[in-house]
Amino acid sequence: MLDKIIKTLIVTVSLLFCLNGGVLAADLVELNQLVENAEAMDGQIVTVTGEAIGEAMERGDHAWVNINDGTNAMGIWMPLDDAQRIKMFGDYKHIGDQLQVTGVFNRACVEHGGDVDIHSNSITIMAAGYATTESVPAPKIIIGLVLVCLAFVLGLIYLKVIKKSDG
Amino acid sequence: MNTFKGRFYSIFIISYYTGYVILGIALLMVLPILTAVGLQEWNPFWDFVITMAISVILGLLLIIIGKQTRLNKSFVQWKHGFVVASLSWIILMFLCAVPYLLSGHVNSILDACFDVMSGFTTTGMVLTQDLDHISLSLNMWRHMLTFIGGQGMIVLALTFLLKETGGAYIFYVGEAKDIDLVPNVKGTARIIWKISMVYLLIGTTALWLDGMAIGLNPLSAFFNGLFIFASSWSTGGFAPYTQNMMYYHSFSYENLTIIFFILGSLNFGLHYAILSGNKKELLKNIETQSFFITSFLASVLAVMWLARTGVYNDAIAMFRRVVYNVLSAHTTTGFGSIYARQFALEWGDFGILILVIVMLIGGSACSTAGGFKGLRIGIIFNSILADVKRLLASERNVKVFRFHHIKDQILADGPVKASALIIICYLITFAIGTLIGTFYGYPLASAAFESASITGNVGLSIGITTPGMPAAMKVYYIIAMYLGRLEFLSVFALIGFIIGGIKKCWTK
Repeated sequence: MLDKIIKTLIVTVSLLFCLNGGVLAADLVELNQLVENAEAMDGQIVTVTGEAIGEAMERGDHAWVNINDGTNAMGIWMPLDDAQRIKMFGDYKHIGDQLQVTGVFNRACVEHGGDVDIHSNSITIMAAGYATTESVPAPKIIIGLVLVCLAFVLGLIYLKVIKKSDG
Repeated sequence: MNTFKGRFYSIFIISYYTGYVILGIALLMVLPILTAVGLQEWNPFWDFVITMAISVILGLLLIIIGKQTRLNKSFVQWKHGFVVASLSWIILMFLCAVPYLLSGHVNSILDACFDVMSGFTTTGMVLTQDLDHISLSLNMWRHMLTFIGGQGMIVLALTFLLKETGGAYIFYVGEAKDIDLVPNVKGTARIIWKISMVYLLIGTTALWLDGMAIGLNPLSAFFNGLFIFASSWSTGGFAPYTQNMMYYHSFSYENLTIIFFILGSLNFGLHYAILSGNKKELLKNIETQSFFITSFLASVLAVMWLARTGVYNDAIAMFRRVVYNVLSAHTTTGFGSIYARQFALEWGDFGILILVIVMLIGGSACSTAGGFKGLRIGIIFNSILADVKRLLASERNVKVFRFHHIKDQILADGPVKASALIIICYLITFAIGTLIGTFYGYPLASAAFESASITGNVGLSIGITTPGMPAAMKVYYIIAMYLGRLEFLSVFALIGFIIGGIKKCWTK
């Protein structure tokens, strides 16, 4: 009997531990949730993740880095040292570094003219970005070449027809 | 010499000029192609090569079909101008959507057409997804569409491709740009494009320099400057990133856009008058007076209202988040310095109503702006004042009322009636859009906001315009943008022409 109680206790404690971990994960907020609940979340410390996009914009000893988590995009105000740790920013040819940012969410930032932003306390690079490889499908090239040839032939016909109609 | 045979000669005329318009726009695709080559974006390169080839083929075919027109140009009538303008816009919408579709950044051809019409009409609503990862060449195309759409693409194509443009004023009016700066249309079109190109140079340079000052790298600052200028001047509202103006986090960058979108929303005639030394025109003109009065009143009311809600606590925040959006809405630009949903969640019914009103009023006639235009508001307002004065004056006293728009003009019944008719058409289009929005379950205020933004070719969104919205709404919004930009008459002419053609076939 005692054995059973001990086992149950171990399982319960383990479950509690796991659930506690789950709560930490749930602290991650989507950017769109912040926009939708801006009044309630204003001034709170939040943790968000997202891909660094575009480029870092240096402003003195700080920088703006915009991140996109797929639900929305938002500006992160961070120390320049943190911004310089980001090696890859998302654009047409790149997937940017995946960041986890913990910081203070501002619905209308007093420091930044009413901006909706996050002032970061800590930045973690969860996954390094990479360059995407671009391959053009062969049918696209073939169709393109055929259409260009057709346009060229029609151009010649046009010149002939117009010359004839004017003459 | 009349070489036209049969009753359907109009089709040849329309085919001929539409062909040239398509050919003109096809040639402009060289720019995104060169961008793609320069930046080694090979998928977009082939997307634009395919689109350009299809457009050239279609354009040349239409010109060859209508070749008889070359000897019968005196037969071109007003109806042809209107039909060419409205038909070209529809054909070009489909053709210019091809690069979007091939890029894989849109869900369907409907979404691609929506974005193209949004660009042409300088609306600025976006259904293209993942803007942060689209190619620079496609971004170039998006912003070119809005820039060309703002200045008038029919006139651009016809003026620069055809040697003789004696009757081109017809096409000019068809595209809602009825202004004669100099006696011939070719000269007027060239002046419009010269003004735009000078501003393009100044604006891009200013935004480029400021872009570098706010931390963008030189190449990126150049492209961002070019794109944002094109959008500001054409009162388009497109931006290269998902966050629109919020991407830059910069007061100076926002201020530069304000200067350029206000300039873009002013009548080309006014620009020409001021550049010709007639600086007093800026103060005397009925449109500038109307714009400054309505934008001042709307800004004050919006600031007073939002001050009560306590969202923004200082003057700079009020200017950047409230006045900026009011001016952006009034000039029908559509740059947003707050998230779309913030309008719904923070602005309240009064704030939304203020924006709906200014979006419907819009900018100046014969500018790049949309809406029912300050000129018409000024004419209607002056005619009400004139009627009141007539009522109060002695019956023996016959007084002629005037208004000033480039020159002193008599406030006759004709312009008042024409202005009222156009305003009624806009209001009906707006009302139908609101009705459809509420039918699909959106709140009244949100449906009205989005409908006003679409009808006035503004581009601010309250969150309704998304790839997931009902297809019927996307179709209606395309129609409303198109009607609003061409100011109804050209589209009505096209419908009348089609019905007339069917009747002719029926009675044959």
